[in-house]
Amino acid sequence: MRSIDPERFADVVGARLRQLPLPAAPRTLLPRVMAAAQEWARRPWYTRAWFTWPLGWQAASIAVLCVLGAGAVLLLPSVASAAARITTVNAAVVLWRTLVRPVVPYAFAFAALMCAACAVFGAALNHVVFGRTVQP
Amino acid sequence: MTDAHQFEAFVRRYQNLVYATAVRLLGNPAEAEDVAQAVFLKAFQRFETIGSSPAAAGWLRTVTRNACLNHLSRYRARWRFFSELEQPDGEAFEPAAQEAAEADHAARDERLEEALRRLPDHQRVPLVLFHFEDASYQDIADTLGVSVGKVKTDIHRGREALRRLLT
Repeated sequence: MRSIDPERFADVVGARLRQLPLPAAPRTLLPRVMAAAQEWARRPWYTRAWFTWPLGWQAASIAVLCVLGAGAVLLLPSVASAAARITTVNAAVVLWRTLVRPVVPYAFAFAALMCAACAVFGAALNHVVFGRTVQP
Repeated sequence: MTDAHQFEAFVRRYQNLVYATAVRLLGNPAEAEDVAQAVFLKAFQRFETIGSSPAAAGWLRTVTRNACLNHLSRYRARWRFFSELEQPDGEAFEPAAQEAAEADHAARDERLEEALRRLPDHQRVPLVLFHFEDASYQDIADTLGVSVGKVKTDIHRGREALRRLLT
């Protein structure tokens, strides 16, 4: 068997493995599945994933989201213009202007640098350990 | 409302298929049972469309395969690094000489199945995807996020590890 052609050996392995009968599921699987299904069915519909909701409620939720989205698009300019008219200077604005805003560009640059360093390190580690190379 | 008897018959019909796919990919019967339960629960949630579909078997295999791969990536990413370093390739299972010489076909099948389960993940998963799920090397590489070369190497080493039981 040592001198067998690798391609033929692959075929032999494949054929032998496909001949294996399906391992039988344990007898505990069916009761577990039925119990889980019954427990799921007992839950109120609104606690389940959205795609399992009754079709009517799915349509209603989409309609509500569309209304909210349309409302936000229509109302946003009004809110922005109202905020611009506010001339009262409060403590938060002062703190932002004096302490936070000057530092924001440097903090952003530092965060971006750290993310890039992590990405480079992760790629290098992946290359070294898992042999992720382009084969000639 | 899904009929409980219909769903039970559905589970009985496909439980071996789902469990076999899971246990061959995961190599762990307990984890395979957990995944199989999750897969059938998904089937229950979609039973009105999948219950009587001729594509149910294919759907179940695909969902099981994806669930297993997610399980492997979620729970084993940390120690996979160490397992690939510590476990020498192709030495996951070595049966005793007298056991390998037994002629009983069912016993040999069982030992081969056991040997397959005991292969390290990085050999077993591509081997199972290639021989049982009929995936190509490229598909396997894309699915596992590794190179085609690594897939071929791992499959070859997995076959070598099973060689003694196949001769």
